[in-house]
Amino acid sequence: MEKKYNLLNVSSPHFHDSSSTRKIMLDVVIALVPAIIAAVVIFGAKALLLIATCVVSAVLAEYIFNLIVKKPCTIGDFSAVVTGVLLALNLGTDVTILQAVIGSVFAIVFVKGLFGGIGKNFANPAITARVFMLLCFSTVTSFTVPKTVELVSSATPLVNLKAGSMDLLPSLGQMFLGLHGGSIGETCIIALIIGWIYLSVRKVIKWYIPFAYIATVFVLFLVSSLSPMVALYEILSGGLFIGAIFMATDYSSTPLHIKGKVVFCILAGIITFIIRKFCGYPEGVSFSILICNLLVPYIEHFTRNIPLGGSANGK
Amino acid sequence: MLFKKKISAVHVPHCKSTQDMHSVRITPPESVTIPMSMHSGVPAVPVVAVGDHVYRGQLIAKEGEGRVSSPIHASISGHVTDVSDKYISIKSDGKMENDPEMKAPKLETLDDFLDGCRKSGIVGLGGAAYPLHGKWEAVRKNKIETVLINGAECEPYCTADNRTMVEDSDHIKSGIEILKKFVQAKEYIIGIEANKPEAISHLTEVFKDDPSVNVKTLESVYPQGAKQVLLWNATGKVVAAGQRLASLGVIITNVTTLAKMALYFETGMPLIEKCVSVDGSAVKEPKNIIVPIGTSFEYCLLSCGGFKEEPRKVIEGGPMMGRTVTDLSESVVKATNGIVAMGEKEAILADPTPCIHCGKCVEACPLNLNPVAFAKALNMEDEDEKEALLKREDVAQCMECGCCAFVCPAHRPLVANNREDKRFMRSRRR
Repeated sequence: MEKKYNLLNVSSPHFHDSSSTRKIMLDVVIALVPAIIAAVVIFGAKALLLIATCVVSAVLAEYIFNLIVKKPCTIGDFSAVVTGVLLALNLGTDVTILQAVIGSVFAIVFVKGLFGGIGKNFANPAITARVFMLLCFSTVTSFTVPKTVELVSSATPLVNLKAGSMDLLPSLGQMFLGLHGGSIGETCIIALIIGWIYLSVRKVIKWYIPFAYIATVFVLFLVSSLSPMVALYEILSGGLFIGAIFMATDYSSTPLHIKGKVVFCILAGIITFIIRKFCGYPEGVSFSILICNLLVPYIEHFTRNIPLGGSANGK
Repeated sequence: MLFKKKISAVHVPHCKSTQDMHSVRITPPESVTIPMSMHSGVPAVPVVAVGDHVYRGQLIAKEGEGRVSSPIHASISGHVTDVSDKYISIKSDGKMENDPEMKAPKLETLDDFLDGCRKSGIVGLGGAAYPLHGKWEAVRKNKIETVLINGAECEPYCTADNRTMVEDSDHIKSGIEILKKFVQAKEYIIGIEANKPEAISHLTEVFKDDPSVNVKTLESVYPQGAKQVLLWNATGKVVAAGQRLASLGVIITNVTTLAKMALYFETGMPLIEKCVSVDGSAVKEPKNIIVPIGTSFEYCLLSCGGFKEEPRKVIEGGPMMGRTVTDLSESVVKATNGIVAMGEKEAILADPTPCIHCGKCVEACPLNLNPVAFAKALNMEDEDEKEALLKREDVAQCMECGCCAFVCPAHRPLVANNREDKRFMRSRRR
């Protein structure tokens, strides 16, 4: 064996479980497919157009941003696709194409890119962009009633809930199927739950993290209204499910530790309750998650792991 | 109890295709090169000169002066061809003659036992290579309740300990008898991962009439064989950072170490050869081979049919914690338990991408450490701040098991980061 081999000199470990960022992001996209289908079925071609617009503009924005700041091209990791889809699903059908483009570019460039790209953004790009659009364009919350159903009211269930008009609410079945006004991706609870199960099975998220969020909101409304019906309608309406499943589980804008992630969701649930119950807005999921995004460093500090055999303050 | 929860672990591919292969003694090499530093502690000091004739098992280097050290013995018979403070090379005379003066050492008192451990040249064969007498010295100061015999062998590809348990149970048994006499522990737990059914059933049979020996089946997860993990899973105890294991009344020893110790007290044969699992995608005929210490990696690999494809990575030890070897003339040392040669496809891992802050490393760490913080410390300019962070996050605890890097979807070099941070901490302590 005189021959010299070209042997690598690298650090252990020499095995890897073959996961990758791209596979995780693809899993999130797959988990969103039921919600995308539901959005198109319920809200029609405009929903599809919005989703396509957001995805294309988010990916293009990331590509061009990377070119300008001379960073390696990162569109292959599919995270821009996830941001695009999530933003689109959180918009109403009245949003114009130009507004959707502006929102997507804002999400990618201002929320993600300028903070250093994937993993470095402290706030969820899709949520931040949605809140930005909410403040800029009135169309974001002027929801069109789905054409596929005869509706009792054009207002969203949350507006009716807030006004106490229980008789104007859709049936529970309609709530689960999403046959009422709202953002295109948030209404169909069944589609979102399928995504939730998929993400949990694929170990992208822990099932109990969205659960902590939804359960907190449910319990708080149950206690405050003493009506299981009100609490049930509260959790089924608005962006709670999509927010809890897809936004409050975002890796870079939530705490690192499992404990921290649960605390994050409970806090977000409390803030959602406060906004919905006591503030002018009927909906509070976007704001709650955004506020909690800002609290992440504190949550991380208070939920840090104790090393095995160590104490909370180090040695 | 603070640590009720299960210790985090990862599921690694086992790759233990050599598990059922009886170990074979290879044709001895024509020469061996034995390093003087094969153990943790001070290097040994040669006591032979060029041209001397040595027998198998004859002392060629005595313990170095200092904290702890271990003597070294000739692994083949022949003539010394080279001596330096780093290596002794021996050219074989082809006879493999044992030292005619070799005899079983006196074993009557605890001093005899510790002295024997010292003279045997045995070191911890699980990987740490800590001289044996250094470990058992603790018996003088501590009351030992439990001896944990580590047969977990959680590293992929490595099956040498499994072969010891299946083929050499006599020595495990006589080793435990010796410990009973001098350590006088209440219980002896042999912890074995569930993926070694033959070893489990064999040892259960061997010790079925001995109530003080408990053959314990452990879950096949990585790193089951690590000190903290094994201790928790087998006894439910936790050793605090900086605390000596013996102060808890526990001593952990590897199964092969125990068998080698028993062999020494039975025959006087010191540690001069080792069963090594040779495997990996580039190896033609994976085998468990018994090789004289000091044999080159190249010779070991040739003894297993050589390569079936161009090797790109050769690892001493297993793929999770092993060290890459770039020069195949390097020698098998006392603690070598595996040689893994990987072909292109197995050897090349994906390039790192940016951290996505997913927390999977934190979740995977058996010791609850935070590799994200360690990676952050790497880029910190303020050295005091960096030291404070690393101290708070307890980087010194990291055992480099590789779980964090194994699960990282961004393929970050987390173990390399931690090693760098630990190096920094050591430099600050000086």
